[in-house]
Amino acid sequence: MIRYLLLPLLLLLLVIVQLTILELFSFGWFGIEISLIVVIYLGFHLDTLHGGVLSLLLGFFLDCLTSAIFGLYMFLYVLIFYLSNIAGGKIYAGRPTLIASFTALCTLLEGMVIVLFYRYVFGADILDAIPRIFVPQAVVVGCLSPLFFVLLKHFEVFLHAEDRRPARRI
Amino acid sequence: MLIPHKYQSPFVAAVLLIISLAVISYSASRLAETGFLRKMVLEVASPAENAINVLLKGLHDSWKRYIFLVGIEDENRRLRYGNAVLNEQLNNYREGYMEGMRLRKLLNLKDGLTNQVVAARVIDRNRVSLFKTILIDKGTADGMRVGFPVLSEQGVVGRIIETAWHASQVLLLVDGNSNVDGMIQRSRAQGILQGAGSAGCNLKYISRVEEVLPGDVVLTAGLAGVFPKGLLLGVISGVSRKEEGLFQKIDVTPAVDFGRLEEVLALIPDARAGK
Repeated sequence: MIRYLLLPLLLLLLVIVQLTILELFSFGWFGIEISLIVVIYLGFHLDTLHGGVLSLLLGFFLDCLTSAIFGLYMFLYVLIFYLSNIAGGKIYAGRPTLIASFTALCTLLEGMVIVLFYRYVFGADILDAIPRIFVPQAVVVGCLSPLFFVLLKHFEVFLHAEDRRPARRI
Repeated sequence: MLIPHKYQSPFVAAVLLIISLAVISYSASRLAETGFLRKMVLEVASPAENAINVLLKGLHDSWKRYIFLVGIEDENRRLRYGNAVLNEQLNNYREGYMEGMRLRKLLNLKDGLTNQVVAARVIDRNRVSLFKTILIDKGTADGMRVGFPVLSEQGVVGRIIETAWHASQVLLLVDGNSNVDGMIQRSRAQGILQGAGSAGCNLKYISRVEEVLPGDVVLTAGLAGVFPKGLLLGVISGVSRKEEGLFQKIDVTPAVDFGRLEEVLALIPDARAGK
């Protein structure tokens, strides 16, 4: 129970760290979106309900603190979570290159959805943001994702260390 | 559960997507208002963000201060170097000024002489040798010849004993081999001024009957044709008359401080100057 109370707080902390500390390393060019890696990790490792809710929550926090369109990140993260969830059932998610490629693809997808959203909802053409912002962001986040997958794996093991219940049957 | 297990995942995903789209739609229609949950998140997040930003700003400021200090150190090093260069320049100017002053004195001496003169710089001196000589930077190429007298603004220095093309050796008055015809200015009594090493010089062959007093000035007599008449040789520092002997023993302190000689004038005698 404590785990489910603690996780939202940790997710909020993650978003805060991402918006404050990690932004320093982006040199004002693009954001290092660790929250996206977390969503993909959740997609690979959690069931639809738990992972989906956590992704929605993560998107909600990000929306609260950054987004100009409230709900956009919620939608995006749920979408990416679901895609990851589907991909996780079909591919072996232990290979770093695969993780990196999939994360980069998801980052690009996210960028494209944002660009399309801006184009069709606000009528603003920000297509140049894809090569200028989202492609380098996809490369950087993609490269970082295997490392964060390892860290998240350790965190998951730590979180379940006290869980003595028998494994759930799927 | 009502939904079959096979469709649970797509159902949950669809519900979540619908919720998020609904949120977008809802927030788009009510732009002016901020929802309660959003307010809560902002309330919780803003102090944390503020704390992290303060911490980061502190770190950033410390780093900048460190860089600033490094910059100050660099500047300090640059200024020290600049200071050393300027000190060197100042020293050179000071040396130039003092050299100018000395040369002016030499020039005044030169103006007072009818002979042709050549100014030379002292480039070496024998400090520990028995021979009291100096080396000057003018030689036969500049008209120097053996026997030419050498003067400074203080008085007679000696005479040239060796010449090369661009350097000459000068035998100082105080060398034991140096003999210059001299006379006492006050009494006009004439003798030979012989070098006595570090003790100075002795004025020889002055009769016992001559009245010689310490402080009397000794000048060149101009008899041998080497030194012109009337150049300052030194000042009598001591006189002793022994019972036996015809002459007095007279100690003379040379007018020139040989240890501080830097520039000298070599005098070209009239007869040779014409050649």
